[in-house]
Amino acid sequence: MEEHLLVRKIDMGTVIDHIPPWRASDVLKLLDLEGLRRSDISLVILHNVPSKKYGRKDIIKLYRHFISNEEADLVCLVFPTSTINYIKDWRVEKYKPKIPERIIGRIKCPEVTCITNNPRENIRTRFRVLSKYRIVQCEYCDTIVELERIADLVGKKSE
Amino acid sequence: MEKVGSTSPGWYDGFRGRDVISARDFSREDYEALFRYADLYEEDPGFYRGLLKDCIAALVFVEPSTRTFHSFETAARILGCGVTAIRDPSMSSIAKGESLHDTIKMIESYGASIIILRHPARGAALYAAEISRVPVINAGDGSREHPTQAMLDLYTIARKRGGIDGLRIAFLGDLRFSRTVSSLSYALSSFKDIEIFYIAPPILQIRREVKIYLDDRGVEYKEIIDMDKAREILRSVDVLYVTRLQKERFPDPSEYEKLKGAYTVGPEILSIMRSDAGIMHPLPRVDELSPELDSKPNAWYFDQARWGLNVRVALLSLILR
Ligand SMILES: [Zn+2]
Repeated sequence: MEEHLLVRKIDMGTVIDHIPPWRASDVLKLLDLEGLRRSDISLVILHNVPSKKYGRKDIIKLYRHFISNEEADLVCLVFPTSTINYIKDWRVEKYKPKIPERIIGRIKCPEVTCITNNPRENIRTRFRVLSKYRIVQCEYCDTIVELERIADLVGKKSE
Repeated sequence: MEKVGSTSPGWYDGFRGRDVISARDFSREDYEALFRYADLYEEDPGFYRGLLKDCIAALVFVEPSTRTFHSFETAARILGCGVTAIRDPSMSSIAKGESLHDTIKMIESYGASIIILRHPARGAALYAAEISRVPVINAGDGSREHPTQAMLDLYTIARKRGGIDGLRIAFLGDLRFSRTVSSLSYALSSFKDIEIFYIAPPILQIRREVKIYLDDRGVEYKEIIDMDKAREILRSVDVLYVTRLQKERFPDPSEYEKLKGAYTVGPEILSIMRSDAGIMHPLPRVDELSPELDSKPNAWYFDQARWGLNVRVALLSLILR
């Protein structure tokens, strides 16, 4: 079934395309969900639609919401096939992602003995991106996390 | 090589005002300068006496430690520093729920010139350094790092061997949770033609972040699990660095009992090693080093402990002078 038969084009908002099949929910975790709930946006998730390039893919359409460049960079870092399009009055702007050097305040460190997990302290976590190895590394405790895993660690740290 | 002492034209500036958080933060030049100043402690003991008499060293030890605490305290007293100490966490405000953040702020307000921190959490020293306006020395942050131990280990190797380049070193024991092994591995990467052998069962092998760091710096290393292979390697190494095997790390206690024998270093292991090879240990030891080795010239661990004072006197001076 073609994508346009499932859901129509949007005139305003963000389209995250070429997400690996069935991973759209992980992409949502990488976005700032609190921000999403506050605004008046609607979103559509398409799972497992045919793709010429990859066979199957997921798509997320966020109506009247523009994700930040920082969120876009994080999505493209974790899922490098993803493409981000910002739609303004039907015009499509392709976003060129940058590889972030650091991810700040978004990921909870999985190492229990890390100082950032001490509830008495109020520390913004900071992870260095080592894209060559597809990992990030906690700058406080040096613990390594695979990029594939970080969606499960995002947003758990209230800041 | 630059001469230090009364005839010296100027101090080495590489450490001045700096935090000591990770052994990765220092260059070969830094380490070699530190060694020269550590030598000076024996050549001219009077040089350091009272040198920092206007300074206050704050020792914050939120984890039991005797040796490291006394080594730093003695070094500070030799330099004439005032010493203020928060030692027993169960007696202090930390036990009453004060954050590390507030402890550091309080210590700073008492006029500390430097904070020396031992803490059970990985990353505590970096966090303290971000809060503090005065330099912070990491005296052990959980299982992460212990950079001043690496400095005194390097100093010991350099003194015994006449240099670090070309070193073949084997680490034995619990490598995964040993901050000493991580820090020394990082420090060694600043030198040339180093070969490292990590001898441990898979659950206690060296951490991935250390391996990635060594890969990026082009350092040769091998992980050795098989004990016959390990014996083969021990025939040719310059240094065997032994760490404690902790029973509580093993999910199955019988696994520990089985390994304990293989990871105990005694006269038999020494007999297969080169006659000029050294055996090192961060101390305190439990069963992993036989007391029969203590009188041998290969037992470097008592010098290692003793020379920690030289290194800490030199380091405090280079940071605070
Ligand atoms: Zn961490």
